[in-house]
Amino acid sequence: MTTFTFDAQVTAALFDDTGAVFTLGDGSVRFEDGVFSEVHEGAILCATPHPSGDGIVTGGDDGKVIWSRRDQAGLLATSERGQWIDAIDASPETRLIAFSHGRTLSVIDATDADFRRDFQHERSVSGVAFDPKGRRIATSTYGGAALWLARIKDQKPTKLAWAGSHTGVIFSPDGAFVVTTMQDQQLHGWRLKDAKNLRMGGYPSKVRSMAFLNKGQLLATSGAQGAVLWPFIGANGPMGREATEIGYDEGSLIALVAARPAHGVLAAGLNDGRVWLADPAGQGLNFLKAEKGAPIAALALSPDGRRVAWADDDGLAGVVGLD
Amino acid sequence: MTDAVAAKIPVTVLTGYLGAGKTTLLNRILTEDHGKRYAVIVNEFGEIGIDNDLVVGADEDVFEMNNGCVCCTVRGDLIRVVAGLMKRQRPGKPAFDAIIVETTGLADPGPVAQTFFVDEDVKAKTRLDSVTTLVDARHVMARLDDSREAREQVAFADRIILNKTDLASEPELVAVEQRLRALNPLAPITRAERANVPLDQVLGLGGFDLERILDINPEFANPAHGEAGHVHDEHCGHDHHDHHDHGHSHDHHHHDHGNPDIPDNPDTVSESGIGPRGHNHADDIKGISLSLDRPMNGVKFTAWLDQLLGQQGQNILRAKGIIDVQGEDRRLVFQAVHMILEGDLQRPWGPDERRWSRAVFIGRELDEAQLRAGFEACAA
Repeated sequence: MTTFTFDAQVTAALFDDTGAVFTLGDGSVRFEDGVFSEVHEGAILCATPHPSGDGIVTGGDDGKVIWSRRDQAGLLATSERGQWIDAIDASPETRLIAFSHGRTLSVIDATDADFRRDFQHERSVSGVAFDPKGRRIATSTYGGAALWLARIKDQKPTKLAWAGSHTGVIFSPDGAFVVTTMQDQQLHGWRLKDAKNLRMGGYPSKVRSMAFLNKGQLLATSGAQGAVLWPFIGANGPMGREATEIGYDEGSLIALVAARPAHGVLAAGLNDGRVWLADPAGQGLNFLKAEKGAPIAALALSPDGRRVAWADDDGLAGVVGLD
Repeated sequence: MTDAVAAKIPVTVLTGYLGAGKTTLLNRILTEDHGKRYAVIVNEFGEIGIDNDLVVGADEDVFEMNNGCVCCTVRGDLIRVVAGLMKRQRPGKPAFDAIIVETTGLADPGPVAQTFFVDEDVKAKTRLDSVTTLVDARHVMARLDDSREAREQVAFADRIILNKTDLASEPELVAVEQRLRALNPLAPITRAERANVPLDQVLGLGGFDLERILDINPEFANPAHGEAGHVHDEHCGHDHHDHHDHGHSHDHHHHDHGNPDIPDNPDTVSESGIGPRGHNHADDIKGISLSLDRPMNGVKFTAWLDQLLGQQGQNILRAKGIIDVQGEDRRLVFQAVHMILEGDLQRPWGPDERRWSRAVFIGRELDEAQLRAGFEACAA
């Protein structure tokens, strides 16, 4: 395992096509091979791999959206009046990048510097997610989620209503479901073809992270003593089915999960500093970091499902391979 | 985790209507040579005139939690902004020492305060230090008459700053202070001109800290003469003490008419809307002070308090108390914001200390006789 000690908080861990990348609260981007660039004048609040697979795109509290590669960094967009860039996602399929600032969702094109769309919401946007084809974008906000067609200039969004504050959003890999995390220690889902509601609750704490794995047949989430797995099999998704929990440990909570739809493994970061990897179809947990410490603050699984990047609240970070 | 990061960041809320002097006070706090760095959350992003390098806009995004508790109305923007600000903090080299939240004159302080008790992430990293409310001596009476928010901001405060005292006469100030104290008997009132308040009267008050609920004088919450925060008014003397002790507790209307301390000054009447026929006499919010010299039955008291907050928590803005529990050497202290109650057994009673129970409830449409009866029925 390669480890790092950063003198600022790690705000995200992710993988581009080359390797692991960490973003920090001091505005810097750290590639695992040691390349360092100070790109934002404040904290990096959100990050996503660039649609090309080369480098990452970050949003900061300086109101900037910046593409960082190992040898250069460039400004892609800014918010009005320097509002924080709160959430970001990108689609390798359409090469579009979507980010939110205040009540606005903006869409830019990695291959066309002149393209930009700005979509307004009634309340602040907390999360953005592309559908698997990169044509639609889901946003989470107070009172539900909204669906936007990524390229259309003048449009009214499809609203998915559910009372409460929604704090993050994800599309299922088959594009059939949208799931949000909520302020109220629960998830909420919608089946898009008929806007049928899925209520997914029972968590002892707020759910901060969600990830699909196993061809999209399982949605893993944090927020409980074990990683919670919701079955998304067939047209009904988790409707009428029970969630399962793996890696249950009474003394800790799962802080973050990371997975890939193409792979069957699940990585989990705990609030006591431990990190494990497991195959829900198999037995046992493989502790990648068994020693306890500060809560895990960032976690990512590589596209090939073979490496895990993690960081804790104290700025300690690591990249570990499974071989 | 190092202490610098593990320690919860204190949050001070500055509230008051437009023109009360919040920006002036904020700039005083920010520019004074104290070696501390502050993050400031303002209502309108890009608001001019705030002299700080870390100013963040919030958008007053109030929402109700889905948990069925009607009081769990919180500020989503604060959850988001506080979480974002905390990302700048680092071990040993904090980006800021405290957060100051400036709210508008129309903001309800309840959701602001509740955010710091309800959201688990915010609660883990920050602690609400206090709510300071600025009022403008010249216009406060009219604001209190016509604005529910203005009354609630005063009622909610841990500290009230009566600003622009140079623009009002002494009798006017005394009348204002009496009305403020009737709305909120817990908060000391500090007089100021151009917001020239010592910073230790705004920051680090520990208004929600059980450890700091050291004394509650239910009859008169103004700190003693010579202490920080003391308001020089008619209570400095002893002559009128009886009036306050008895008149006030049985007739909250009493404070704004028939008081011998207020000269019958026609200017006062027209300027401030007070006087024998003043229309402000029925402030919907008031502070109710209760006390009992006999020990209480701890179980009974806790059950009564729980029930009270459960049934009337929506109307109770703030409550604090120190209770003498029978068979217990330590003081039971509590504080509440609407239905959110915190209580704990605290330091032992001193050997020569007067053991008595006292509590103050500040709220809307409270039935004083019923509260008093319920409180006294908890006697052991």
